[in-house]
Amino acid sequence: MAKVPQNIRDQYTVTIGIECHVQLKTRTKLFSGISNDARDADPNTLISHICMGLPGALPVVNAHAIELASRAAFALKSVPAPFSTFDRKHYFYPDLPMGYQITQFYDPIVIGGEVHTLVEGEPHTVRITRAHLEADAGKSSHPAGAPYSLVDLNRAGTPLLEIVSEPDIHSPAEARAYAHELYLLMKYADVSDADLFHGNMRFDVNVSVSKSSELGTRTETKNLNSFKSVEKAAEYEINRQISLIERGDKIDQETRGWDEASQKTTSQRGKEQAHDYRYMPDPDLPPIELSDDFIAHVKDTLPTMPDEWREHLSRLSLDTSQIDVLLEAEVDNSAVAYLSILQDNLDDTAYAKQLANWFVNIEIPYRKDEAKNPQILNPQRPTLYAVVYKMVKANKLSSTAAKNLIQLLLDLENLPNDLESFAESKGLVQVSNTDELEVIVDTVIAENKQAVEDIQNGEMKALGFLVGQMMKLSHGKANPSIAQELLKKKILS
Amino acid sequence: MAHLTREDILRLASLAKINLDDDEIASMQTDLDSVLEYVEQLKDVDTSELEPTNQVTGLKNVMRNDEIIDYGMSQEALLANVPEVENNQIKTKRVL
Repeated sequence: MAKVPQNIRDQYTVTIGIECHVQLKTRTKLFSGISNDARDADPNTLISHICMGLPGALPVVNAHAIELASRAAFALKSVPAPFSTFDRKHYFYPDLPMGYQITQFYDPIVIGGEVHTLVEGEPHTVRITRAHLEADAGKSSHPAGAPYSLVDLNRAGTPLLEIVSEPDIHSPAEARAYAHELYLLMKYADVSDADLFHGNMRFDVNVSVSKSSELGTRTETKNLNSFKSVEKAAEYEINRQISLIERGDKIDQETRGWDEASQKTTSQRGKEQAHDYRYMPDPDLPPIELSDDFIAHVKDTLPTMPDEWREHLSRLSLDTSQIDVLLEAEVDNSAVAYLSILQDNLDDTAYAKQLANWFVNIEIPYRKDEAKNPQILNPQRPTLYAVVYKMVKANKLSSTAAKNLIQLLLDLENLPNDLESFAESKGLVQVSNTDELEVIVDTVIAENKQAVEDIQNGEMKALGFLVGQMMKLSHGKANPSIAQELLKKKILS
Repeated sequence: MAHLTREDILRLASLAKINLDDDEIASMQTDLDSVLEYVEQLKDVDTSELEPTNQVTGLKNVMRNDEIIDYGMSQEALLANVPEVENNQIKTKRVL
């Protein structure tokens, strides 16, 4: 589809709201003591009379799901509702054995909240309408050419938290930032594995455009499973809807799907009907009442949230992109604890800043490189960095040598007892010893008469050339600033 | 009270995924109308002082720990009453 020209697009207000299903990190399902890890399980091996909705089966709430949802409430800058209930949402689909989904319609466990994002350096707030617990449906598949579908109920009953935002998002970039921040929040609150590849977070994006102050007709693009597809699908819908309106057509309120291959949204109207879910309180499930003590306990044990980390680290005045890299890397591998090492060293700002740079520029990319296999984890890493820093401060390591040394050390099983002699044995320690350097200075001066003359005539850029020669002769080990000092002294005095 | 129309019945039938013939539609219309009329009497009760009833059991916080439970039911037993199974998956009319 042709892109709508910017001057036309600028006439429209874009309004986006996002619903996100987060799979909670429990061992068992929401209403039955059946394993929740369906990733590698054979079809219908993780089922029970409850998952299948057999007559007489009684669902019983998983207490841990309540705790995780309560934690999510604080992550969303809300509080868990002291009173919540479960309701039945009725619709027929083969992957929904009971003919209804158990969800929280009337009294959800989270009401209100906020998510803060940064989009191109600008702070945005997206309000949260509500978040409620619900049981996932099963999985249906449709063998090619066969006149039937197949249903696997392993996933039926998996605990989900559906987080519903207010329509406070106004561009694809904001939509992506919101989705990404939700991911960090769920990860840091330890509510979900938030493994997008395995569908642990799925986004439904509601988009409308309007030329007036009234909202336009919205479409809902369902089941997006990456930040990029959230952004692309929103972009596609905005473009599609404006094109239709400009042509004088109407927008259908409908559900759409995202086709990754063609990067398009497509109508799923075929299976849509007018919704009438006939919600009713589920008589099998008594209400959940949370005590003040429980709520206080959840609050007190909430891990440090991304916002708080940003606040803690603000005194290092790092770029927001650097902080994002750190926050993200910590998620990928909590055994390396970048943030808490920084936290422990905040009092020495210069060191903490250097550490952050080393993490962002050396260790994080190194660990991401699949060809490498770094071994060193905590608690050895703080020692590693402290020693390297000391050597840099003492002019024993150039910044390149520091990088090489860090990478070498990360690959070891255990740190050597004497890091300095290890660095020396690898030829990384730079020569700052004046006597040793003077020998090289003399050689360089003898071999580069022209450059020496230039310097004597005031052409100081020749000095850089001579320093380069010293680095070459010393195999990169000469301390460049001391080398420069010595050269200057010899040539100009 | 407004009476149920033929369209109302057709809509309910489609939500309940049942097929009704013309005779059934007509009789449903009368039957459901009288049910509604009967239930209508509840409107006369003053409920302004009452809390909404979520439950009649008086129970709350019925929960279990997040632990695997052996319900003693084999996959074979659980799938025994499924009309048709293929590779342990439940066969249904094609959707999508």
